[in-house]
Amino acid sequence: MSNHEKKIEYTKKELPKGFLKYGLPLLLIGIISVVLAYQFDPMRASFNNIIALLVVVSVGMGAIFLVALEHIAGAVWSVPFRRIAEHQGFIFLATPLLAIPIIFNMHDIFEWTHNSVVLNDPILYQKSPYLNTEFFIARSVGVFVLMTFFLFVYLRNSTKQDTTHSQKTTKINALISAPFMVFFAIGITLIAIDYAMSLEPHWFSTIFGVYYFAGTFATAMAVLTLITLSLKSNGNLLKEINRNHYYSMGGLMFAFTAFWMYMAFSQYMLIWYANIPEETFWFLPRMENGWEYLSIALILIKFIIPFGLLLNRNSKMNPSRLKLASFWIIGAHIYDMYWLVMPSYNRMSGTEGPVFGWIELSFIALSAGIILVFYYLAARNKNHIPIGDPKLNRALDFHI
Amino acid sequence: MSTIDYTKNEVNVHGNRSLKEIDDLIVAPLDRIPDKRFFIAIGFTSTLLLIGVIGVALSLYYGTGLWGNNNPVGWALPIVNFVFWVGIGHAGTLISAILFLLRQRWRNGIARFAEAMTIFAVITALIFPIIHTGRPWVAAVYLLPYPNQHDIWVNFNSPLLWDVFAVSTYFTVSLVFWYVGLIPDFAVLRDRATGKIKKVIYSIFSLGWRFSNRHWQHYEMTYLILAGLATPLVLSVHTIVSFDFAVSILPGWHTTIFPPYFVAGAIFSGFAMVQNSLIVIRKVFDMNDLIPLKTLETMNKIILLTGTMVGYAYSMEFFIAWYSGSQPEYFTFVNRAFGPYSWAYWTMFSCNVFIPQLFWFKKIRTSIIPMFIIAIFVNVGMWFERFVIVITSLSRDFLPSSWAYYRPTITDFAILLGSFGLFFTLTLLFTRFLPSIAIAEIKAVSEGAQPSHHGGEDHE
Repeated sequence: MSNHEKKIEYTKKELPKGFLKYGLPLLLIGIISVVLAYQFDPMRASFNNIIALLVVVSVGMGAIFLVALEHIAGAVWSVPFRRIAEHQGFIFLATPLLAIPIIFNMHDIFEWTHNSVVLNDPILYQKSPYLNTEFFIARSVGVFVLMTFFLFVYLRNSTKQDTTHSQKTTKINALISAPFMVFFAIGITLIAIDYAMSLEPHWFSTIFGVYYFAGTFATAMAVLTLITLSLKSNGNLLKEINRNHYYSMGGLMFAFTAFWMYMAFSQYMLIWYANIPEETFWFLPRMENGWEYLSIALILIKFIIPFGLLLNRNSKMNPSRLKLASFWIIGAHIYDMYWLVMPSYNRMSGTEGPVFGWIELSFIALSAGIILVFYYLAARNKNHIPIGDPKLNRALDFHI
Repeated sequence: MSTIDYTKNEVNVHGNRSLKEIDDLIVAPLDRIPDKRFFIAIGFTSTLLLIGVIGVALSLYYGTGLWGNNNPVGWALPIVNFVFWVGIGHAGTLISAILFLLRQRWRNGIARFAEAMTIFAVITALIFPIIHTGRPWVAAVYLLPYPNQHDIWVNFNSPLLWDVFAVSTYFTVSLVFWYVGLIPDFAVLRDRATGKIKKVIYSIFSLGWRFSNRHWQHYEMTYLILAGLATPLVLSVHTIVSFDFAVSILPGWHTTIFPPYFVAGAIFSGFAMVQNSLIVIRKVFDMNDLIPLKTLETMNKIILLTGTMVGYAYSMEFFIAWYSGSQPEYFTFVNRAFGPYSWAYWTMFSCNVFIPQLFWFKKIRTSIIPMFIIAIFVNVGMWFERFVIVITSLSRDFLPSSWAYYRPTITDFAILLGSFGLFFTLTLLFTRFLPSIAIAEIKAVSEGAQPSHHGGEDHE
């Protein structure tokens, strides 16, 4: 209830060295090895490229969503971290780098781009008004442009507020977040359908967009938590930020870990129970040739372990436990995307069973490099706290 | 448009009352003899209830031939009503458990009432599966699995049985949660009671509560754990209700988004019902300060949010019906929108998706009469949603020669009216016998109750 103006002591400080120290080598190694991968095995490389894209979209677009969520919900506790989320949203700008190679290799990835197949397949032919190259590219560009537009509006408003301290900005942000939510819901669904579901063009599941969103939220939150912890220990943030704030981050990661399980269970359970061949064929390859172990491990990796890591109240407040859980959740999301995408690689390339090697690692390195370097580019020389936000004092006074 | 001061914490309770004044205000309806309006209201609802009892009695005597069910529409209004009422119940637990875990303090004023509505809604819903057994007096024997010498078991593969487990667990946990919240309030009532009988009853229910620090510590922990247990239950109940349909292979029923979509819809209709009832309560009992407009506005925002989620699910279903390339699937959705039941489909769509969009406007969100009307539309829409799902998919199934149009009969409507009668009769009685607002919780969010770093300085 302390509404008295408290002086916020914030001094700008250099970002932790790690962002560039690890980011640049990872990015370089990533780029070089990805180029090699495309030379060596373009099909496998392009499927891995999809995984990388889905992960980076989760981190970037998910962060823009977190910003909008704070505005529209009028959340207070998250205000000190909103600038971090805004800078993290900047990572979304890297997505064209990952999408362009996919678009050049669509023939290797998407069966529905094969004209001869589509013409001889009534179902694919019927879908062709949606699944065709031009509309596919148009949708991707549309989502990218819209999300980028909102990202820059949020960044600009937020930076301006640092000096103006205007309450009106907060209000405008809340207003524009309402249409954002609609665009985001459509956008993330389209990305999930286009880049992941249409890999098996005959398959369909109404929950698929929500499934991807669940993982996206947890991953974006995990990256946000890691950056927060690293900035905090480097002294970039305010001293008032405490375990109560961490608790909320851990709580949200926990909630969306459970939510992901709910989505995954709903999808699997209903398809398994109804047992219609039109739907079950998507799960069948995931239950043979070694994939069955990965499928069972998915439950453990993406649900049971992070659930256990974060269940306890104290563990949500403990920075080192949070760090572990965040890394775990990001890894689990990559694993989930791998599980989602790679069985289609088996089908398209005629291989059997899960593959893992330097090509997979190179795309993970590239994604990690992109995340670190783009965050650095966005946040360097900037305030890491929205010091002009009228809710900041209340947020720092936050206790559970 | 009112301007918000973002530097100030939101005020959840107005009026700056003392603790005793809060007690007096909330307990007042229990102490006085109700006025004429109450008797008119309960007369009306119990008449509805009586109509329902007659409908059920006739159905049990003459059989389900009195209902509109036909072949192929074997499932009709009873399951529509069941799903509708279970859905209504969801708001209560969302408010009392999930919003508690999310530390939404505005919920404190409405949690008790919403939780009570959960319990009454689940009771109302349970009527339908119990009638469904045909011999309600032995329903427990039919519904619950137990070892017996004939080796006859319930069908464990059926989601209808999972419903029995899910709903009864949900009911039990909700009831315990509600009761735990009531204990400190029973103690308040006990301490105020003048009559001997009242005192004894309240003493028993308050379990020796003495407002000691230790009591509160245990209470807080129990409440937290129960909230944690109730949270997955909120999701599981309507998930399993959605399984009743979604595990089948019937187009329009079998779709993977059903579980979260049903949960969102349930919260949507539940909030609309709670909002409607609260508007009446705060007016009649003069509790505008304890349930401020801000609370109703927040509820309207949640109605808008869940309504839009439901809209997402409708659109996704329609899109995937086309995208799947499955002819029966696509036919079912076109048939819903343009077939013989298009009137029901568009009623559902406008009430659930279009009309709640009005809540984008702050003016509408904060005016009592428009929000009341919109919430009624929401409940009409959500009833029609279940009607559309159940009836349209069944009435035109895979075999065109067996297609038939379903019309509810007067008995069907009598039972539907009776369910409203039961629900509102219980709600009205509740407002007379128990405090409609959690006294202890409202004190915790009233002005000056929050710890402060400034040594209890005066706030306004």
